Amino acid sequence: MKQIWTILRKDARHHWPEIAASLAILATFAWAEIYSWTHSRNAAYASFSLLTASFLPGLVNALVPLSWIFLIVRVVQGEPLVGDRQFWVTRPYDWKVLLAAKVLFIVTFINLPCFAMDAFLLARAGFHPAHYVVGLLWMQLMWILFICLPAGALASVTRTIPQMLLALLLVALFMIGMIALSQVIPNSNFSSGSDWWTGFLFIATTVTIILLQYSRRRTAAARWLIAGLFAALALIMVLTPYRSLIARAYPLSQGDVPVEVKLLPAQTNRGSYYDQGGEVSIQLPLSISQLPKDTFVDLDGMIATLTNANGVRWDSGWTVQARNFFADSQSAEISFQVDRRIFDQLKSAPVSAHLLLAFSTYHDTNQRQFVVPQGEFQMPDVGLCSASGPAYFHSIRCRTPLRRPRFLLITSDMASSTCPWDKQDSPAPPGLLAHDSVRYGDSDPAEMGISPLHEVDIYLSDWNTLGTRFSNPGICPGTPLTLSNPEFVGRSRVELQINNLSLTDYKRGSGKITFR
Amino acid sequence: MTSAIHTESLVKKFRRVDALQGLSLSVPQGAVYALVGPNGAGKTTAIKILMNIIRATAGRAEVLGIDSSRIRGHHFQPIGYVSENQQLPEWMTVGALLSYLRPFYPAWDAKLEDELIKQFDLPRDRKLRHLSRGMRMKAALASSLAYHPKLIVLDEPFTGLDPLVRDELIQGLLDRAEESTIFVSSHDLAEIETFASHIAYLEQGKLRFAEELTALANRFREVELTFDAPPNLPQKLPDNWLQLNTAAAIVRFTDCRFDLERSTADVRAVFGEPRNVTFSPMSLRSIFLAMAKSARNSD
Repeated sequence: MKQIWTILRKDARHHWPEIAASLAILATFAWAEIYSWTHSRNAAYASFSLLTASFLPGLVNALVPLSWIFLIVRVVQGEPLVGDRQFWVTRPYDWKVLLAAKVLFIVTFINLPCFAMDAFLLARAGFHPAHYVVGLLWMQLMWILFICLPAGALASVTRTIPQMLLALLLVALFMIGMIALSQVIPNSNFSSGSDWWTGFLFIATTVTIILLQYSRRRTAAARWLIAGLFAALALIMVLTPYRSLIARAYPLSQGDVPVEVKLLPAQTNRGSYYDQGGEVSIQLPLSISQLPKDTFVDLDGMIATLTNANGVRWDSGWTVQARNFFADSQSAEISFQVDRRIFDQLKSAPVSAHLLLAFSTYHDTNQRQFVVPQGEFQMPDVGLCSASGPAYFHSIRCRTPLRRPRFLLITSDMASSTCPWDKQDSPAPPGLLAHDSVRYGDSDPAEMGISPLHEVDIYLSDWNTLGTRFSNPGICPGTPLTLSNPEFVGRSRVELQINNLSLTDYKRGSGKITFR
Repeated sequence: MTSAIHTESLVKKFRRVDALQGLSLSVPQGAVYALVGPNGAGKTTAIKILMNIIRATAGRAEVLGIDSSRIRGHHFQPIGYVSENQQLPEWMTVGALLSYLRPFYPAWDAKLEDELIKQFDLPRDRKLRHLSRGMRMKAALASSLAYHPKLIVLDEPFTGLDPLVRDELIQGLLDRAEESTIFVSSHDLAEIETFASHIAYLEQGKLRFAEELTALANRFREVELTFDAPPNLPQKLPDNWLQLNTAAAIVRFTDCRFDLERSTADVRAVFGEPRNVTFSPMSLRSIFLAMAKSARNSD
């Protein structure tokens, strides 16, 4: 313990400029965070405020983890693990003591200040920090796992800051490569199916590298481990059987379909779109029926297979949709992109389309009424909110502590809005429901982030269906809302067979805007 | 007498380079043992293996009875290691370095620390990066002597130092020689000769010999034979005669197994009766030059 303290004190004395810089950046972050609360989003568009309310927080947001990484690198490289000339390797340093001293340094000068700042921000925002200790600790654990560990692992296999920068460059290139890879691997963007494994592999490898370096100083082996991790992550991405995983997660409905969907005739005005050059957007309007009251579905994804009479077959692979179908919904649109070359082959004659729709079904529970008060108010499950506007739209802006609710559905009868109607809009008749939801699906006690507060905007969308559109006046003080907590019921796949589909009719955009 | 350091067939390969080729040596406790040899002989490699800074490819080594590959942490409490290549925390002052290291050594002697500071004339408040090379070496040595180490390992400590600093370092070492075993590598033979009790000669990764310095000095003689006329050199000469050369009626060589009776007999057997025979003691430097040249010629 005495040695740990000795090393910690030495590191603190040596790295005080970096510590001071890191704390200053953290303090600036806290100031910017509070500043952003007190200056409304509308003010952010004023010329000066744009810098202070928009650019500065973004910059500080990036600087905080960067300053931490820098501090970690400096303190780890203070007793370099790479090379054979460092004085400390022939001194009575116990590697466990040295590692413990470094961990203690990181906890003392990164986690503790961050924890204290988070508690301060919570208190300043009106939330008692004592009620959120577990979540605050969870946030620090996330920083340790996903910033401190990888930064420590890289610092342990590099000797100098330039070497570290080179390592970071290689990591950045790898990440760019992985993103590019995910774009070309079918289905991978819908469900990785391997997040847990990759997370575990990542953490286990970084821990192994750090332990290996501190206990044995096997730099070559540690560097090979990093290369192996990269290769393994790439292989996992390439070899994951996405289709099988999705099929298992969304079993095919056998009669008991959660929702009845049918193709509607093509609309005459399908709006404009940005021509993406090599792809054509196909937009299919669907009628929605047979959704029981108090039940709704999320269309998580879909796969479209097109076949023509000549045997030309095209498959979209699973694509993310992220649309909600409510019991009061009458119609919705789904879309997918077709390669222009394929489109040109298929457009001349009707095709057979086979759609597989992946749904998550929810049962709307715990419904309660809530009338939006004046000024700042406590909104159940969310946090401290206030009705804002009217520069762009009337909505509720909330600050929620640690994490957004698992699933909160906000429903409102558009006709009951207390916001003033725009003279150009026709008022919605009673019974038209507008929805918004706030959700953070994971059960973690907190979301990862520097700030413990998350801004949530609750905005009720326009009611828009197949040519009939009612602008939503929004949420104002006095507007009655229905809050509910949907419960997950299950997942299923629904098949939709469409014969004689004319792709040209459903091609999106008559008046297109082209960027080439 | 047990060994402070013992190696057996130590081999170290760096890719295609054989840095050490089966080094076996034994350093008696209490000895001032010098490992000498030209640059690139493998001295630093051997020391790094002993200090477990690098690992041997084959063979084994023990330091103070501990397998060198297991030496770490508290095993260094009775060991002082100073190297010309060592990177010290140069942002520290001399005083801060000593204060920092103090808690790591239970046997740290604050009084001795003060004595060493005075003896080496070290400024406590000066940062290491602002010290001359010689002063840094003295600071490193002070930080390695203040805890009465049983074994002091020095890797080329005198390289590039002025004579005054060398003398100070050597004196500092000699003052502690009674309580410690000193293992020092150097190619500075003149300095080694003044204080080493044992010597080992390493060349191209191979140990040419290792013995007590007095025995070595007794074993080597420069032999000068004076004849009345230039003698005829026989085809075969004794293998302990190194670097034989002739100049008119004078023949000179180095006898590496000198024994007055036997060496005189060898001379008579080869040359008959020279007019004059002298056996002169050799400096360590002369011995090693003869060894090195002889080895080069035989290669």
